[in-house]
Amino acid sequence: MITIFRAAAYSFKKAISLCRGDRRLLADLIGSEQGGSVLNCIVLIALGCGVYGFTVGLRNGWEMGAYVAIKLPLIIFITLIVNGLLNGFLGLVLGSGIGFRKSIQFLLAGFAIMSVILGALSPVSFFATLNMPSSVDGAGRFAWHGASLLMHTCLIAVAGITAHSRLLSCVREFADSSRAGTHVFFAWLAGNLFVGAQISWNLRPFFVSPGLNVEFLRQDPFNGNFYEAVTVALKNVSLI
Amino acid sequence: MNENKPSSTRKAPETITRGVPPSISDSKSGFVPMEGGVSFSNLLSKLLRKPLSIFHELETKEVLWKIPITLILISVVSLTVFGLVVGTFSWGNQIWAAPLKIVSGLMFSALICLPSLYIFTCIGGLEARFSTVIGMLCSIVALSGLLLVGFAPVVWLFSVSSTSVVFIGFLLLALWMICVGFGFTLVFRAGKAMGMANTGHLMVWCIIFLLVTVQMTTTLRPIVGASETLINFDEKKFFLQYWSEEFQQATD
Repeated sequence: MITIFRAAAYSFKKAISLCRGDRRLLADLIGSEQGGSVLNCIVLIALGCGVYGFTVGLRNGWEMGAYVAIKLPLIIFITLIVNGLLNGFLGLVLGSGIGFRKSIQFLLAGFAIMSVILGALSPVSFFATLNMPSSVDGAGRFAWHGASLLMHTCLIAVAGITAHSRLLSCVREFADSSRAGTHVFFAWLAGNLFVGAQISWNLRPFFVSPGLNVEFLRQDPFNGNFYEAVTVALKNVSLI
Repeated sequence: MNENKPSSTRKAPETITRGVPPSISDSKSGFVPMEGGVSFSNLLSKLLRKPLSIFHELETKEVLWKIPITLILISVVSLTVFGLVVGTFSWGNQIWAAPLKIVSGLMFSALICLPSLYIFTCIGGLEARFSTVIGMLCSIVALSGLLLVGFAPVVWLFSVSSTSVVFIGFLLLALWMICVGFGFTLVFRAGKAMGMANTGHLMVWCIIFLLVTVQMTTTLRPIVGASETLINFDEKKFFLQYWSEEFQQATD
């Protein structure tokens, strides 16, 4: 029991150091040859995003909270799996000297920082959720749904930008040249954003639009894609 | 005295002479001797990590054809894998037709663009062997193919999620342009490392190659989506006309 507490305290200390921007720890996480650092990052992502995801889904009940707690970390893991080969290729081709294993360690470390920030923001998100009317309440439910969507998008964006700016400086240092590091970082970012958007579309719902049912996945998760939906939405807007 | 004079106008001819260590600038650019032989796995690794060492090998070693043949092999394997993933969008005949069309179309495009690449590199001031130019072309296709394999999981994700042929078609074209862009960058770097004075002509060739490959997608249509006929050589179309028609149909 004491060992578990010690391990938990050690992980917590590591998470706090990561938030402080402890470059040595970040470099250790990335440079480590052992699988322990990868496992550490995976645990941090599962916990941080899981807790935050729970507060996102909680507005639609405990069941939805549990679903989003599972799905939010899943988006990150599936995106990294789908883009793993490509990220490794890009690291090498762009002359950074960062190969497959290192690219995964870098990105996991970046997402781990993001998850720690999101985990730290989850009490705020929880408080906000408690203060919002339930999604089944008739009056102003669309407005509250929009407000919830906007708030969480902003919080996730803040966490993502902060985490990735930390990662950028580390990639620059680690790469063969600062320029190659910058190129690789933005190539990874573009690829992960492109695929991540689609994965989140496949794993919907997260916010449950008013009038729709609470469920783990939609009946047709692979019907249509994110970019087609954006195009249709833009088309509809232009018709107004 | 004349013996020490460089016999060509190349920037650093001594760097590509066997047995002489590479200069600092060559080491920086990566134009250094290749380590580990010309096996499939080593060439694949060098293509990603130290691609200019392949051109150094082509320029300095007597074993001329091993490298291009291995590069072609890498291209065929990579493009076949990518083609199979593209074929999963429609299944049926496309599962074998798409890889076949992608591999043969790209190989044919490369073949018809080879003479112009050699001439344009000569005009640009590059004094390279014909085998090196073949190696350049093969490395463009091989590197693009490898990167396309990297994109294969992304294509698969969209092919199972989307039913729109136009969306998948434009996605594949965008990915092809990104991948071939890396290939072009590699050839520019190689040209500069080998003493190419003017890269403007190479730029023109890159545009030509890109246009040829893009037109090939229309010539060998349909590569994406089911169709009664596997090949439609009778109806001749320019790729812009074909794409605009497809786009119009999808948006109507």
